[in-house]
Amino acid sequence: MKTLKKLFALLLTLAMVACLFVGCAGDTPATDNTPATNTPATDAPATESGTDDVEPIKIGVLVADVSGEEALAFRSYYENYIASNYNVTFSYTEQLEDAAAEKSAIEKFAAQGCQAILSFSSADRATQLDTCIANGLYYAVASGMLDDAQFETYKGSEYFVGQIGPSMDTEYEAGYAMGKYFADKGVKTVAMYGAFIPNPMHVYRAAGVLAGLGMTYGGASEKDAIVGQIFGDQGIDPSKVGANGVELIGYFQGFGDTTFDELFAMLGQGPDAFLSVGMATTFFTDALNGAGVEFSDIDSFTSANGEAMANGKLVYLAGKYSSSIGPIFAAVVNAVNGHPVRDAEGNALSISQDYLVATDADSFAQYSTTDQGDSPIFSKEVLDTVIGENVSYDDFAALVSADRS
Amino acid sequence: MAQSELVKKHRVRELLVALLPIAALAVLFGALCLVVNIKGYRLDMYLKIVFNEGVVLAIVATGAIFIYSLGSFDISLGASTLFSATIGVMVYNASGSLPLMILTIFGVAIGCSLLSSVLASVFHIPVFVTTVAMMSVLSAVAAQIITTNGGALGGIGIPATVVAPLDNVPFKLIALAAFALLCVFVFDFTKIGRRLKFLGSNAVCAKLSGIKVNVYAIIAFVMAGLGVGLGAFLTLVYTPSVTPTTAGSIGMNILVAIVFGGMPISGGSRSRIYAALVGGFSYILLNNILKIVIDSGAGYGISQIVSAVFFLAVVYVTSMNYRTKLLPR
Repeated sequence: MKTLKKLFALLLTLAMVACLFVGCAGDTPATDNTPATNTPATDAPATESGTDDVEPIKIGVLVADVSGEEALAFRSYYENYIASNYNVTFSYTEQLEDAAAEKSAIEKFAAQGCQAILSFSSADRATQLDTCIANGLYYAVASGMLDDAQFETYKGSEYFVGQIGPSMDTEYEAGYAMGKYFADKGVKTVAMYGAFIPNPMHVYRAAGVLAGLGMTYGGASEKDAIVGQIFGDQGIDPSKVGANGVELIGYFQGFGDTTFDELFAMLGQGPDAFLSVGMATTFFTDALNGAGVEFSDIDSFTSANGEAMANGKLVYLAGKYSSSIGPIFAAVVNAVNGHPVRDAEGNALSISQDYLVATDADSFAQYSTTDQGDSPIFSKEVLDTVIGENVSYDDFAALVSADRS
Repeated sequence: MAQSELVKKHRVRELLVALLPIAALAVLFGALCLVVNIKGYRLDMYLKIVFNEGVVLAIVATGAIFIYSLGSFDISLGASTLFSATIGVMVYNASGSLPLMILTIFGVAIGCSLLSSVLASVFHIPVFVTTVAMMSVLSAVAAQIITTNGGALGGIGIPATVVAPLDNVPFKLIALAAFALLCVFVFDFTKIGRRLKFLGSNAVCAKLSGIKVNVYAIIAFVMAGLGVGLGAFLTLVYTPSVTPTTAGSIGMNILVAIVFGGMPISGGSRSRIYAALVGGFSYILLNNILKIVIDSGAGYGISQIVSAVFFLAVVYVTSMNYRTKLLPR
């Protein structure tokens, strides 16, 4: 009797698991990693990416962030807008933790019949590329860029489609512009948040902020020298900051148990402004609004940031917009269709993409509302101008660098 | 007569429970083949992927069996793997010597393991506590080395061509088999294994019998260190770079693998080397099946929830024949 009870309990458990399977399984064909594969809309028009009687292009997407508002906006643009306008399916990974997970995910996409990989994950770009080349998959960097040495190594590979996104120089310039904005505004004291330094993107932005504020770091004022020292220090040491009209009264980075203590201690000193190189709008918006300190960030045009700019103290935002990943998709389609876009020497695309900057609610609304729903900045009409046989590198460069403001 | 029948019945039941993990592995293998075929994916590639995902976990977990058999718990093995690989990369980049890199990886791994053991012995604190401290220290030091030397890349690595010739199934299979055979020999055919199990079953009795606890604890940690070293090397063979998150999930996955393999966490006489191999690959197979079958559009983490339910079910089944006894050890 006792054993029967145990077996009955076990059967119930297994039944529960079976129910979970049934409940979780979608009607769409599932794929590994993220089975949320978007089947193309039946009324998708015939395009360079294929027609309805042609197999859709299958693209695997590597992601390291699965829950951030920006990451979700990117995904929505591909799965809802692009997939309904082109004959293409996207398969997403779950959150990739390290290089081994990236490599394994690419191999799974190859096993599933994907033709190309779009990467938002950067644990080891070189291994990602090597794995794609070994499996005959086209590869494109959808967020960030390879470092110069890596690009030199892979730029000639037929499977490397290219990279369109903010380069490290662009990150530095974004930080510089933010610092200069506040310096020009006449602030005298600032507090600074270094986000997740030594994340390279945050290091370059922070170096730019210091330079833009007219500060030196360890006596250096040149980009490379400042960046090198920040990498070496694993952060910014306020004692090494040389003030020049604007004083850095506090600095902190990372996020942990004592982060808010550090923030409030800093706000207690009454800085004129709080400058962040990332994530402040996610962590500190309420605290900064409550303290009445003007702040800035490099993030994206999300609804939460719009609210902070309209009704809070967010006064400067350098941001990405969801359809900024449209051009790299177009480049992938061209490559899969047999006419990849290369430069004059036959190398892969490498185009830096600037951030859009909003300094008030109106400019924020302009960028966010023009990049939503069925009418993104990189709409089908715009992307179609660079999808096809006779598209050049210059066409792509012109499209990406065109003023979107 | 009635008593011998009872004993016979008990033995049959124990045998069935012991075989259950192996049967589960076979079922999971069949299930993976089935779902991959239904989806129209390439089975040959999937089997290779599963092997690559499982081999490092299986090796590190196999070494960890020696520690777990004592009834101890080492949560720092993932951090040790990361730290060993990190130092190995640094040594290769300084010397350009692959043999030196391999020796360094094994030396560092065994050193880290021994340090945990010695700290526990000297300060008379539970091994679990020292390994928690080691995990924090090793992760932090490795992250510092990686980010300082990795610069804009965010990671450090060796040239892919150095280890590319070794990134194949036969080499990894040989490495796995050799290490497993060594562990089986030490654990099942020498007095070391018997005494480790004795210590895990009843440390007081073992001490009173003249068994030196510290000596056998050190041997157990050395064997675990060997597994960590081999795992760290194979991690570099698969991806010739390390980032602060490399091998981050191994520590907890070892625990899951050992339970999936049918071995009690309390160690003792029921400790089995094959539990790590069977459990490690079962866990990887289950994960892959769930990821193929479950639509993650329904929400991230669903596969982990289902995996956790399976975990509880496995623990329940494998503990059925000793859970209700007065003296389970």
